[in-house]
Amino acid sequence: MILNSCNRCYLTLLLCVAAAAAGSVPDDSGESGPTTRSKWLCDSTDLCLPEESLLPGEGHEQPRHRYESQRDCRLSCGKYGAIWPMPTGECSLSHDRVPFDPWKVRFNVVAPNEVTTQFLRETNRLFVSNLLKECIRNCTLAASKEVLVKATVTDSSLVLDWKTDESYMIVVRTTDKVSFVDIKAATVYGARFAFETLSNLVTGSVTNGLLLVSSARVTDQPVYPHRGLLLDTSRNFLPLRYIRNTLDAMAASKMNVLHWHVVDTHSFPLEITRVPEMQRYGAYSNAQTYSHTDALNLVKYARLRGIRIIMEIDGPSHAGSGWQWGPSAGLGNMSVCLNQSPWRNYCVQPPCGQLNPINDHMYAVLKEIFADIAELGAPEETIHMGGDEVFIPCWNRTEEITTQMKARGYDLSQESFLRLWSQFHQRNVKAWDDINLQMYPSVREPKPVILWSSKLTDPEYIEQMLPKERFIIQTWVAAQSPLNRELLRKGYRILISTKDAWYLDHGFWGNTQYYNWRKVYDNALPIDAPNNQKRQVLGGEVCMWSEYVDQNSLEARIWPRAGGAAERLWSNPKSSAYLAERRFYRYRERLIARGIHPDAVLPHWCVLHEGQCL
Amino acid sequence: MLLLRRLRYLFKMSLAVSLRRALLLLLSGAIFILTVLYWNQGVIKTQSYNEAQLRPHLQKDRSSAPIPLEKSWTYKCDNDRCVRVNYNKNGANVKRVSFISCSMTCGDINIWPHPTSKSLVSGHTLRFSVEDVQLRLDTPHREVRKRLKLAFDVLVRQLRQIQQLEYAAPRAEEISSVSEPASKSTDGAASPLASGLFSSTFGSHRSGDLDSLHVKLSVHESGELDFNLDNDESYELATSFEHRRLTVHIRAKSFFGARHGLATLQQLIWYDDEERLLCTYASSLINDAPKFRYRGLMLDTSRHFFSVDAIKRTISAMGLAKLNRFHWHITDAQSFPYISRHYPELAEHGAYSDSETYSEQDVREVTEYAKIFGVQVLLEIDAPAHAGNGWDWGPKRGLGELSLCINQQPWSFYCGEPPCGQLNPKNNHTYLILQRLYEEFLQLTGPTDIFHLGGDEVNLDCWAQYFNDTDLRGLWCDFMLQSNARLKVANGNVAPKHVVVWSSALTNTKCLPNSQFVVQVWGGSTWQENYDLLDNGYNIIFSHVDAWYLDCGFGSWRATGDAACSPYRTWQNVYKHRPWERMRLDKKRRKQVLGGEACLWTEQVDEGQLDNRLWPRVAALAERLWSDPNDDHDFDVVPPEVFRRISVFRNRLVELGIKAEALFPKYCAQNPGECI
Repeated sequence: MILNSCNRCYLTLLLCVAAAAAGSVPDDSGESGPTTRSKWLCDSTDLCLPEESLLPGEGHEQPRHRYESQRDCRLSCGKYGAIWPMPTGECSLSHDRVPFDPWKVRFNVVAPNEVTTQFLRETNRLFVSNLLKECIRNCTLAASKEVLVKATVTDSSLVLDWKTDESYMIVVRTTDKVSFVDIKAATVYGARFAFETLSNLVTGSVTNGLLLVSSARVTDQPVYPHRGLLLDTSRNFLPLRYIRNTLDAMAASKMNVLHWHVVDTHSFPLEITRVPEMQRYGAYSNAQTYSHTDALNLVKYARLRGIRIIMEIDGPSHAGSGWQWGPSAGLGNMSVCLNQSPWRNYCVQPPCGQLNPINDHMYAVLKEIFADIAELGAPEETIHMGGDEVFIPCWNRTEEITTQMKARGYDLSQESFLRLWSQFHQRNVKAWDDINLQMYPSVREPKPVILWSSKLTDPEYIEQMLPKERFIIQTWVAAQSPLNRELLRKGYRILISTKDAWYLDHGFWGNTQYYNWRKVYDNALPIDAPNNQKRQVLGGEVCMWSEYVDQNSLEARIWPRAGGAAERLWSNPKSSAYLAERRFYRYRERLIARGIHPDAVLPHWCVLHEGQCL
Repeated sequence: MLLLRRLRYLFKMSLAVSLRRALLLLLSGAIFILTVLYWNQGVIKTQSYNEAQLRPHLQKDRSSAPIPLEKSWTYKCDNDRCVRVNYNKNGANVKRVSFISCSMTCGDINIWPHPTSKSLVSGHTLRFSVEDVQLRLDTPHREVRKRLKLAFDVLVRQLRQIQQLEYAAPRAEEISSVSEPASKSTDGAASPLASGLFSSTFGSHRSGDLDSLHVKLSVHESGELDFNLDNDESYELATSFEHRRLTVHIRAKSFFGARHGLATLQQLIWYDDEERLLCTYASSLINDAPKFRYRGLMLDTSRHFFSVDAIKRTISAMGLAKLNRFHWHITDAQSFPYISRHYPELAEHGAYSDSETYSEQDVREVTEYAKIFGVQVLLEIDAPAHAGNGWDWGPKRGLGELSLCINQQPWSFYCGEPPCGQLNPKNNHTYLILQRLYEEFLQLTGPTDIFHLGGDEVNLDCWAQYFNDTDLRGLWCDFMLQSNARLKVANGNVAPKHVVVWSSALTNTKCLPNSQFVVQVWGGSTWQENYDLLDNGYNIIFSHVDAWYLDCGFGSWRATGDAACSPYRTWQNVYKHRPWERMRLDKKRRKQVLGGEACLWTEQVDEGQLDNRLWPRVAALAERLWSDPNDDHDFDVVPPEVFRRISVFRNRLVELGIKAEALFPKYCAQNPGECI
């Protein structure tokens, strides 16, 4: 009951936020004034063109259907119409339309228990609020057909992980009086995707109300179970509102993981209830923090949109701000090389800071942080423990570490430091297991944790350092690198964040290059060998590091490019971005309607005049 | 349990039967809630750990009340650099210094763009409230008076906006924590506690160090209000302080200089979140004048439409950065959003939609608004190329083809980017329409000595389909001269002193007289044309694509072909570009350089990203053109001092509602110099 009422307030909040956002910026996707009144045709090459632009001799056979607008045409022009990402199974869409009033859509939910029913009711509400945003004029339509949506779900569980069945089937058919929408899915998450697809079968009418494709049949399921976006809130803080907007846009793109890189050396904005010092010493300011409740609410908000939030507590590197209070509390140096200069001698990026692997207090504090994180997520949720860019000279220049190492009989070779580093991770995984055992005894299997690829995951060392049952490796190498292949061969599960395609911060600093949506889209990932029993390539993530981004440019930097990755991960299309172009532009307009501010990708004229800007 | 007993007691006191029932219901409800609460408590308890064992550190820190995070830092000026240090509450009488107050008083003057001839400020600062600010005008020119009043109103409005910003979410503990240092403060009346309370309850009046702050504006020499390139933009700012009265005296030779003085004054004032008041220096002395006369920004509103509000917002930021020309590339081949009084057909056929248009009223509104900020609006109808959509109705009205090759394919044969369209050089109606448009523009913007005729990227193959002239370039030349002649007619038979065209193949010939024509060079900064144009005696505005094109770096927007001008130009690239130095121009040629302009073409930008695509990079250009600071650093290296000032300037923009892009992690803003 309590959950339910909360959900409702999130929904209202979402609506308010969306309405405010939509109000403040003019919608550049408005229909073209002068050409609105003419009819549109879908030609043999799947272009939507105004009727008068087709010369009489040109179309050898007169197309049957005339659409009231370009968007109407787009709903069924081309095999996948306006559905983003493209369905992987069957997809047939009729060219007829049903005008309807979104207020007159009726829902029928068939689910095995209370929680799943409740979830689907929330899904219905979010769906209607998204429909309302598609209205061009007045949403109400007196002579509306009734639309009956029936959603059937068989699985009673709300577990969302890499094994969750996200498939669905949706059938739309229309009789004289009623349109029936039949949704079938194993899980509520599959059903939620069906509703997203259904919203892609709808567009605003140039008169009143909305238009729905009158009959359709789609079966669909994602290729990769991990379709993620990394958000860094440490380099620059991102207010919650913008994170929620990002989740909304992810939901619209059928992405399912928000990898929240919540802390880094620069700042520690997250409240750790068990160790309040972390935030007190580490946040930029009072206003730039996330409370425990904020994070809990965000996790719930994401859940309702079929999205997991995987929190990352990066370590041993990328940990400085928030860790300064060790000496004054009598706990010794928990982080070393803190803010050292010249920074180039102590870290990869200023400010410096790297956890002290020989300080037991540090492990105790870290364990409490993990406990807080475990409390935030669902019982089945895991954690990202970072592990990237460890700068060995930092440890090597810290006397208390080298002395201790020598005392333990280590030499100061690279190998020794790697061993120290791997012990750091193994000890933390152990702590993580302890916490989970205590907090979620019902979850039997120990959860694998995620680490970034690094020197430690070098195929040469990895098997001695990190057991493959316990560690999933998120690689962040260039597309050409052999690392993914080698890790797969060794039996590791991997997540892929192709550095030269999916790093959305590139192109604005140093020697990096910007990747436009085509490049993001065309970034093909390795696939599992067909005879492989176990899934090894879990999927991938686009990364939004925030050194040069804050809320002022966040949305435009992520969207619509992340949408390219969304289709790559959901459908893994064989075709290039070129064939997805017009669907993609429609998808971008939909994001705008939902209150997101995506970047513009080409002149508005080219969107209105398909096929003219090749 | 006590509650339960009380309820029972009430129950026993019992009244009517119906009331009993109601009470029973209430009671059971209360019990239910209590059970739920108790149960929840239990859940939390089972999840927590054995505290004593795991948390030795907690015992110590629990007792101390949490202090607001930003108050746990204070800043210390060390070697012209603000250093963040822990604010030790036990450190007795030392007052906490906020970042901005440190930054404004540590090192060189923190103004963007940097003053050019003299700037001195005292370390002693004064606190005041926006209500204390008053204007005293000292000018014999009535119209100047009026406009100065408007410019002053802008200053006060923006200061008020800054003073009322909520920097931190106000929490109960914030006020309590302030009390400690405050009680030790010796400055009774103006203690932070008092001012904090006043500002939250009574609006902070008379709580600072000042009874009044007089801004005295003296403009005697010139009553000139029309823009021309010879406007004197210099000013002198000096303060005097006695008996809790600060007078800021800005002396200028014209309105334009005085306005720049106000923009400087605005940057001499900051909001201190510790004092909860505005601050400024007790004494300052600034002599300032720009290095270049033309400091521009171009916005293209044809590839994507931008609302009047967005344009005005941009202009207000330009004013703060002391830029003075807003070049409005209002039409192009993609769309024609301007609704002409004489030829509304242009917008009817050429605008993206009815709502994506500019009426005359809109343009006037922008122009008038810009005048307050010392910014001249220059409207450009690009011609003969870049004119297609909107020009297609000629035959229907019996005016013949006004423009040729409209939307012709394959576009790459006939124009630089789709859609194609190039005005018909042999149709007199085309010129007539241009003349009318020029006339309307001149009426809307007021008298000017400079006008932009466009003239870039003409594709002769387009015309070759229609005309068999052997000298198509001659046709182009004729077109430009003809439209220039029409401009003269439109301007009441007075040729504007300067007529700007984009650099092109035509500007490499002797077609356009160098006495009148100014070339806006948009080619590469190393191209030969840079030298040739100067040698041929043209005045020049630099807009080099490899430094000052702000649209670059987002890849190709078409499915085919390479990106036109990657990579992205960072603010450092913009800042460090000094073509006049690199070309080693002599005095005479240097004089031919009127200034520079950053260009934002909007193929891949719409209103959602306008601010962050422009700012803070345009600010970098503003300092380059106003102060042109020396630069003997390596490629890509910008001194820490510049980082420090642009970071504060960027924050000022954000405070005013401009969504400027982040320069670096906030950590680097809070710890100047540490990230370089």
